Amino acid sequence: MSSLLGNIFKGWSDYSKGNEEGGHHNYEHMYAMVIDLDKCTGCNACSTACYAENNLATVGEEYFGARQAMHWMRIERYFDEPNLEKAGSEADADTQSHGASFLPMMCQHCNAAPCEPVCPVAATYHTPDGLNAQIYNRCIGSRYCANNCPFRVRYFNFYDHQETAWPAPMEQQLNPDISVRSKGVMEKCTFCIQRTRAASNTAKNEGRAIRDGEIQTACQQTCPTSAILFGDLLDETSAVHQAWKRHQVQLGRYTQNKENPELRGYRIFEELNVDTKVLYLERVREV
Amino acid sequence: MSDQKHLTQEQTKDIDENIAWASINADVLRSMENPRRGYWVAMAVSVCLFGIMIYAEVYQYMYGMGAALLNTSHMWDLYISTFVFWIGMSHSGTLLSAILHLVHADWRKPIYRFAEAMTTFSLMTAGIFPVIHLGRVWNFYWVMPYMTDRGLWPNFRSPLIWDAFAITAYLTSSVLFLYIGMIPDLAICRDNAKGWRKTLYSWLSLGWRGDDRQWRNFRFTYLMIACFLIPLAVSVHSIVSMDFAMSIMPGWHVTTFPPYFVAGALYSGCAAIITLFILLRYFFKFEHYMTFPILDKVCKLTFVIAMVWTYLNLVEFASVWYGHDIPSKEVLIAKATGPYSPFFWGMMTFGSVLPFSLLFKWVRRNMYVLFFASIFLNVGMWLERWMIVTPTLSLGYHPQAFNVMWPGWTEWAMVGGSFGWFGMLFLIFVKVFPCVSMYEVKEMVFHRKRTIYDDVDEMMTLHSGVPGPKAQTQNSGGA
Amino acid sequence: MSKTKINRRNFLKVLGLGGAGAALAGCDMPSYVTLEEGEEKIYSYLAPEEYVIPGVGVWYASTCLQCPAACGTHGRVREGRVLKLEGNPNTAVNAGKLCQMGQAALQAHFNPDRITEPLINGQPASWDDALALINEKATKNVAWMTGAISGHQRVLLDAHLAATGKGRHYAVETINARAWTDAGKAVLSDAMPTLHLDKAEAVLSLGADMLGTWISPVTFMGQYGQFRAAPRGVLMAVEPAMSLTGANADQWVAAKPGTEAAVALGVGHLLMTKHGLSLNSMPNATSAFQSMTPARVQDIAGVSEAALNKIADTLASRKPSLVVANASHAAARVAMALNIMLGNVGKTLTPGASIVADPLAPIMGSTKDLAEFAQNADAGKIDAVFITGANPAFIAPQGLNMAAALKAVGFKVALATCHDETTKVCDVVLPLSSALEDWGTHVPAYGGKPGVVHLQQPLMEPLHAETRGLGDILLTLGKSAGVDGLEAFEDYYGYLRTAVSAMIGSEQEGDWQRVLQAGQFEAPAQDHAFSTGSDVALGFSENADAGLHLVTVARQGLYDGRHANSSWLQEAPDQITKAVWDSWAEMHPKTAADFGLKDGDYVSLTTQGGAITTRIFTYKGVHPKAVCVPMGRGHTDYGRWASNGVNPLTIVDAHLGDWQSSEVLATATPVKISAVGENRHLVRLMDTDQQHGRKLVATISAQQFGRTQGGA
Repeated sequence: MSSLLGNIFKGWSDYSKGNEEGGHHNYEHMYAMVIDLDKCTGCNACSTACYAENNLATVGEEYFGARQAMHWMRIERYFDEPNLEKAGSEADADTQSHGASFLPMMCQHCNAAPCEPVCPVAATYHTPDGLNAQIYNRCIGSRYCANNCPFRVRYFNFYDHQETAWPAPMEQQLNPDISVRSKGVMEKCTFCIQRTRAASNTAKNEGRAIRDGEIQTACQQTCPTSAILFGDLLDETSAVHQAWKRHQVQLGRYTQNKENPELRGYRIFEELNVDTKVLYLERVREV
Repeated sequence: MSDQKHLTQEQTKDIDENIAWASINADVLRSMENPRRGYWVAMAVSVCLFGIMIYAEVYQYMYGMGAALLNTSHMWDLYISTFVFWIGMSHSGTLLSAILHLVHADWRKPIYRFAEAMTTFSLMTAGIFPVIHLGRVWNFYWVMPYMTDRGLWPNFRSPLIWDAFAITAYLTSSVLFLYIGMIPDLAICRDNAKGWRKTLYSWLSLGWRGDDRQWRNFRFTYLMIACFLIPLAVSVHSIVSMDFAMSIMPGWHVTTFPPYFVAGALYSGCAAIITLFILLRYFFKFEHYMTFPILDKVCKLTFVIAMVWTYLNLVEFASVWYGHDIPSKEVLIAKATGPYSPFFWGMMTFGSVLPFSLLFKWVRRNMYVLFFASIFLNVGMWLERWMIVTPTLSLGYHPQAFNVMWPGWTEWAMVGGSFGWFGMLFLIFVKVFPCVSMYEVKEMVFHRKRTIYDDVDEMMTLHSGVPGPKAQTQNSGGA
Repeated sequence: MSKTKINRRNFLKVLGLGGAGAALAGCDMPSYVTLEEGEEKIYSYLAPEEYVIPGVGVWYASTCLQCPAACGTHGRVREGRVLKLEGNPNTAVNAGKLCQMGQAALQAHFNPDRITEPLINGQPASWDDALALINEKATKNVAWMTGAISGHQRVLLDAHLAATGKGRHYAVETINARAWTDAGKAVLSDAMPTLHLDKAEAVLSLGADMLGTWISPVTFMGQYGQFRAAPRGVLMAVEPAMSLTGANADQWVAAKPGTEAAVALGVGHLLMTKHGLSLNSMPNATSAFQSMTPARVQDIAGVSEAALNKIADTLASRKPSLVVANASHAAARVAMALNIMLGNVGKTLTPGASIVADPLAPIMGSTKDLAEFAQNADAGKIDAVFITGANPAFIAPQGLNMAAALKAVGFKVALATCHDETTKVCDVVLPLSSALEDWGTHVPAYGGKPGVVHLQQPLMEPLHAETRGLGDILLTLGKSAGVDGLEAFEDYYGYLRTAVSAMIGSEQEGDWQRVLQAGQFEAPAQDHAFSTGSDVALGFSENADAGLHLVTVARQGLYDGRHANSSWLQEAPDQITKAVWDSWAEMHPKTAADFGLKDGDYVSLTTQGGAITTRIFTYKGVHPKAVCVPMGRGHTDYGRWASNGVNPLTIVDAHLGDWQSSEVLATATPVKISAVGENRHLVRLMDTDQQHGRKLVATISAQQFGRTQGGA
């Protein structure tokens, strides 16, 4: 009983301490990502790799059209470029002269995630690694978290897809490290937490720290242009930490204080103060 | 109603102070006997609607929430808006019983009983929706704070948990309030009943004898619960509004939502009171108790609340319109001009324009017009709840998620079924319990007989011996 | 798997030891494990190989066969099932990466609609019966039709052909680089030069979808990352409809279908006249450049002078550059000439290398072979055909009369994993093991180290008892046909092992295990010798037709339709339109407006070859005179997930151009469109193509990038 109450107090104290100065005290790790939008070709390999790794169900045309699909990682494609000055003749207005803009979008694992406080049963919470975790077993499917996500990267199991998505023998491909969700639970990108846990177990067994590059999320691993970087922000040797530093983007702020405002790194919907952990590097075009 | 006109002309007083107490008993007790064919038809319709709801829920349970056509953008739809609607409806009873009790508005006395019943049943109806809208309905009890074997508690930061607590507290208090307020009446029923009813009323009336001590304790208890219930009512709908206000979604993250929702709740409660007032008055021939002057007052109250609601609505629009939150402005413009705009304008018409009809006396006296007007007022309020939930979800921050969605058949079945369920409960109530508070009506008659409103000063002078400013004849008529 | 030598115990023994080195790292195990030959051991599932821990996956190396590029893969195997594929970090072709088609190879393997037993005339039969029938019927005038093929499978196939009347091998691939390779051969004497995208400062692509489907996309995508790093290279693309490469271009130029060669000539003109470059070694090219003025380019291709100037200026000012083309033979030859003129040869375009063992060398495939097959079959020159890795009934334009051609062949055998339109018309269907269940060697056509041979090994036991590997079937057929030297081998594994051991010069078990772990080995290779630039005829001819033309493109996903039976790839949104599960016709909004059409309207597209009906999708990434229907859907018989869409390949005009030089990908077919009166919403990932004022994908100019990334 005392541990129950102790949990409540400790949780409160962690929460309130965590809100000071960027909110990442007492974190063991702070997993984050960097996605270079100039290197991303929009090939969609990351999305399909995520389907393979995380037991994602395909839902078919009808349900996809009803917007009930389950693409944890989705590549959005935009044809407008509001930030880029157009330098071209009138003819340019009639043609898509600078190609398309691709945006890989998945759970941003916000440090001040708007989805976390609103779950009635605490099925989503922030792990000490800085990940926003979703506990399928605890989820009762109230879907408030999905409503509160400004990125709309939470996906709900509106149906049971086991029979249609994995007819025999396709169920043999399912990854046993991760559950197959039934209807009624919420799911989303987990930064491949199963790989993170496996790597930290291995590191623990070997009595060492996790090395940068040891954990590769499925999307990062397969990206043919290496546009996705994943790593630990608290590890100063990691590529991710150095990229965030190079682009002068800090956690815990909703506007950045860059010495050089032309640096490419930015976060999406930063002004909402949700403190996302995916740094995007602006796409570049020759004008 | 052949003598309606006669009664219309005659009814200038809230109640006829010459009604015999025995006839009050007789009239009300008669309303609980021998249901006629119309009653059974109404019951059958309600049960049918409820049956459709059960069917829809079973279907949804088996196939998943996708049957409601919910999707990644529209994670909530009619279930939540109807939930808010029914919670809103529940404020009627509290307004009438508790608030008006505190301000000594005794014209509430003939009508507050069914209003309180409406509160209780609205809450019981509303309580269905948070359960059925869950993806894993069978685990709904996890929102209750109980000792789990894993040391898990629900997340107290979540507005949905606040909802659970608030609604449970409010429901419990309302049931208690309704029940306690009924005890003297149940005693009357007990004294006049036979068979199973007698047993039922004997148990429920807790041995009420009506002696002085019991009455004094009763008055005190009733007052205490009324005082307790009023802040609860305000807080319940404020908390329900926080389901939206605590979200960051544009169109939801609005500070005025708590008072706005409470105002809307009182509004729809009053409108529902008018509807049921007309129905009960007609079917049970309660013309002497549910009089036109009382209806008048209810209508005026409704109008005032409608104006408060309209004001708060316009405040919300203005703060968005003059603000810098672009996504919120987009939502507002989409509400007015987008795919949902017919329903938005329906809401504005029924919610803000229609109440002006209540300013006309002929409307307030015409039962048919008033009946449909009150229904449409409530339609407006239902549309309001829908327009809060859906347009925000159809837009939002991220363009990839922009999506227009129309409710599926399961949602409509559940919405209609909720009315069936409410209807069932209410119909059972009116035949098992007195829907007019007999003892309070007797009080009202008694006080009116002894009190003539225009001559309050004079009478007080008469009784107390201190000279007063006015001097009029004693029997100059009532209010 | 053949019935005798490789049973489950031995399979585990073989498979287990082939585990890639990565699995052993950190376990303190030697990088290879020796096993004494001849010893029988019983392996229980409870006690698998020493280094296999239940619950922990072991990674094995293999090769991806989802497209002709033959990337190396690592497959994660747990409890005897393959769960996930990743790139093999040791193979230079893909350097550890894999595209979405490679990821979906799992679905090709676990597909629920696989053929599980031999069929004779559609009825289940035994292998013995099927093979007996084949021995009886396929004895002379035998042909093989395959997709791109290389390695020892090709050796056995060639041997079988030689033993059965020296028939022809038709290598059929709708998506190919024949324009480029023919041009390379003609101009540089090197069909497959090595391209150094990472070293280029500017790249011009004329219909060569390097990042999507051209030659070896994963190789190019790996280089693309470096291409874009500071100093940032500029990508320009000229094509009638946006490909993945075009979507990533700094400057995307819409050209009328079939006119890319004219654009390239116009670029050359400007390089000569405005930037003073010269190409004295190729007078043909020089005169062609001179006569193609920008005004003419505007007329022919609809490309503005400003756009043309920009391309030329970029190429002139950024060195070294690279010009690639696949749009037509003429365009590819002009591209080669431009490369020579720009001085790219030796910098971004260097001699390729080929494996010395020529019988193993890759044949890349073309639709020219498809056309010639149809011709020869019609003429009665083919008595029996074996078809594997190709679906001629689906990909052939109607003008080729493939149905009749196939009918004219007396005896048809299909070796396939899944039923498709071709197996339906074949007399015998042999159930093939999937790529994840089979042995093989593959020589990548591009991107690998010179002479590298990729190894394909099974990643799990066969799912279905009656399927056999391609190599095993070839071995059996070869033995029946009397090919020498095959009797010693019980199965393809044995054959391959012997052959590979001979190539690596060692029979040691340890060395074989090292090959299995690496997934590759290097065989002797020789560099191609460049010529200085032969002055070839460019073969450019103007297309006089001013009307609408249909072009069909391949997208990296469904490819040429072979992956339409994968639910992942059907649900993976098309990269350009973000559409899923159904077909569409891409059209410029102005064109649509001219016809009074709006997005989602169904139109009938009619060509000389037939008609298809599909809905339009309007966006500005199409030339106003082009209608683009990506290929890949429109199957009639390809499993439960492939029953949607329309097949543009059927109406592509097979008679336009010269089959000697043109290809389906390069063909612009005149088309008429008419509204059918229906409008239905195209199911897409997103219904908006705009950011609505949100800062989602922010774009900066290259100058800004140059200032902040330390680049030029």
